[in-house]
Amino acid sequence: MAISLKESLVIGFTDFWSRKIRSFVTILGIILGTMSIIVVLAIVNGVNKSTLAWMSERGGLTKIDVQRNWNYDEQNVGKRFLTLRELNFIHTKIPEVTAFNPQLQDYKKFKHVDKSYNAQLIGVLPDFTIAEEWDADQGRFISKYDEDYSNDVIVLGTALKDKLFGAREAIGQYVTMGNLQLRVIGIMKERIFKQPGGGFGGGNMLEYLNYQAFIPLSTMIHKVTGTDEIESFSVKAPNPQSATEIRQKLEALLLNLRAGKPIFTVEAAQEEMEQMKKNSMIFQVIFFLVASISLMVGGIVIMNIMLATIQERTREIGIRLAVGARRRDIFMQFMIQTVLMTSIGGVLGIMIGFSILKYVGKYLNTVVAASSMMVVIALIVSAGVGLVFGIFPAIRASNLDPVEALRNE
Amino acid sequence: MNIIQTSNLKKEYDMGKVSVMALNGIDMSIEQGEFVAIMGPSGSGKSTLMHILGCLDKPTDGTYILAEQEVSQLTKSELAAVRNEKIGFVFQTFNLLPHMNILLNVELPLMYAGIGRTKRKRRAIEVLESVGLGDRLNHKPSELSGGQRQRVAIARAIVNHPSIVLADEPTGNLDSQAGSDILNIFSDLHKAGHTIIMVTHDHVVSQSANRIIKIIDGKIVDGNLS
Repeated sequence: MAISLKESLVIGFTDFWSRKIRSFVTILGIILGTMSIIVVLAIVNGVNKSTLAWMSERGGLTKIDVQRNWNYDEQNVGKRFLTLRELNFIHTKIPEVTAFNPQLQDYKKFKHVDKSYNAQLIGVLPDFTIAEEWDADQGRFISKYDEDYSNDVIVLGTALKDKLFGAREAIGQYVTMGNLQLRVIGIMKERIFKQPGGGFGGGNMLEYLNYQAFIPLSTMIHKVTGTDEIESFSVKAPNPQSATEIRQKLEALLLNLRAGKPIFTVEAAQEEMEQMKKNSMIFQVIFFLVASISLMVGGIVIMNIMLATIQERTREIGIRLAVGARRRDIFMQFMIQTVLMTSIGGVLGIMIGFSILKYVGKYLNTVVAASSMMVVIALIVSAGVGLVFGIFPAIRASNLDPVEALRNE
Repeated sequence: MNIIQTSNLKKEYDMGKVSVMALNGIDMSIEQGEFVAIMGPSGSGKSTLMHILGCLDKPTDGTYILAEQEVSQLTKSELAAVRNEKIGFVFQTFNLLPHMNILLNVELPLMYAGIGRTKRKRRAIEVLESVGLGDRLNHKPSELSGGQRQRVAIARAIVNHPSIVLADEPTGNLDSQAGSDILNIFSDLHKAGHTIIMVTHDHVVSQSANRIIKIIDGKIVDGNLS
């Protein structure tokens, strides 16, 4: 009958405590290693979270954008835009999409009474609110009725409204643009996205959207540009899984329409997200490896100390063997002591790691996000280091011959 | 009844080219309740005999029956169990664990026997009181005199009710007063029914025993039961 685990734990802890300073120095490597794992995981986790937040700000993961391919600059390749007829044709080929929104843009001078401001005017369909997941906050957005009758209505971004109207009520008022008089029917919801951790000077990365103004696409074509040369549109997939399929369909359609010339690019947010994750994965793996190497070094230090400890305690082992300890008892004593040490190091490392997270985030100007999963990983890894590096010294201790061990001075 | 019965016990050490016969056919029997001294000059093989009798080492040849159990061919773990249950050791250098108080030192064999905390504590206190150290339970060995340390070692040796107590030069590191105190304790244990085997080279010490076995060159030359 061998001694119980509880008994071994008591022995291990007594050993640990009776040599406090040595024990602490021994586990220093484990503390630092676990700490760096916590910090690395928190940074990686934070980056992933802020990437996701950014993607959802840009219209969610089901959005697919079609734009002019600015990298394709061959001459005489035909129309570098899509007409309304072509767009309608494309829409009939992807009936599963939940939103279809062409955008026709122009840079215009907006006037109201004595104020004027140059800003981006965009002709859109009512589907815009679904495609971009962005709607009017006050008043209303452009309706199907507005589109069908090419109504002279406009929805303003908050910043543009402030430039033209200041604090005054804008809805029901008129904005003029050359000869065109447009009635303000709504103010868009303000768009704010700050890089958490204060990146990009802590500014609102989406402020440019608040300077945009929207009118019905038909009004844009008939009363502003005079043409239907549409360079971009976006659609919304019914779910993230179908985004890739729709993206492929769109690419094929557009190549067909333009004799195989890649005049347009098609990007699915879902795929971009996956690509970003893949890219950051490489860094995650490298970070994790570096942290793991420091843990390994910590483990080697522990193994070294344990071997020295066993050398020093050979006589004690002999005494224990003489009074009836089995090889298994000796093995467990040193094994448990090693795992106990690395686990204590792990717990301390987790605690220090968490307490410095905030400062690391501030210093690196990045988001850090802690999770309970990280604690589990760090604990398992630090205890695992003890298991791996404790085996050899424990085997050595348990293989000692009682007579030889007792003779040891 | 014989508590120890060996026949043709041999121990050969392989020293490279030559081999040394440390024990060369020991036939020995010791009865339950005897107090035996094993004597011999250094190099006679008495330490080797003591290691084998103590199940710390295995004979190269021969049989050894301890308390009706043949132990010469047991595995290391089985030998550990035999040491734990049947043998109590008292060493010349005390061999106490320096970081533990004497109570925990005496509890040690009971711990490896798998006896619970409260029970073994009670038993250890009882035994320490019987050797006159009931008021020193929380002392570390380094805080005690040599004679006191050896009394702790004796308490540890008998705490698990062993079949035999093996003492290896138990007075070798003690002054004469402390030495005779220890020999008195052994005599008391003997009177109480313990079987005691003491290895020594000191004639005065061996007089405490009621039989002396003499060993020279790995063989018993005197003192065997006829």
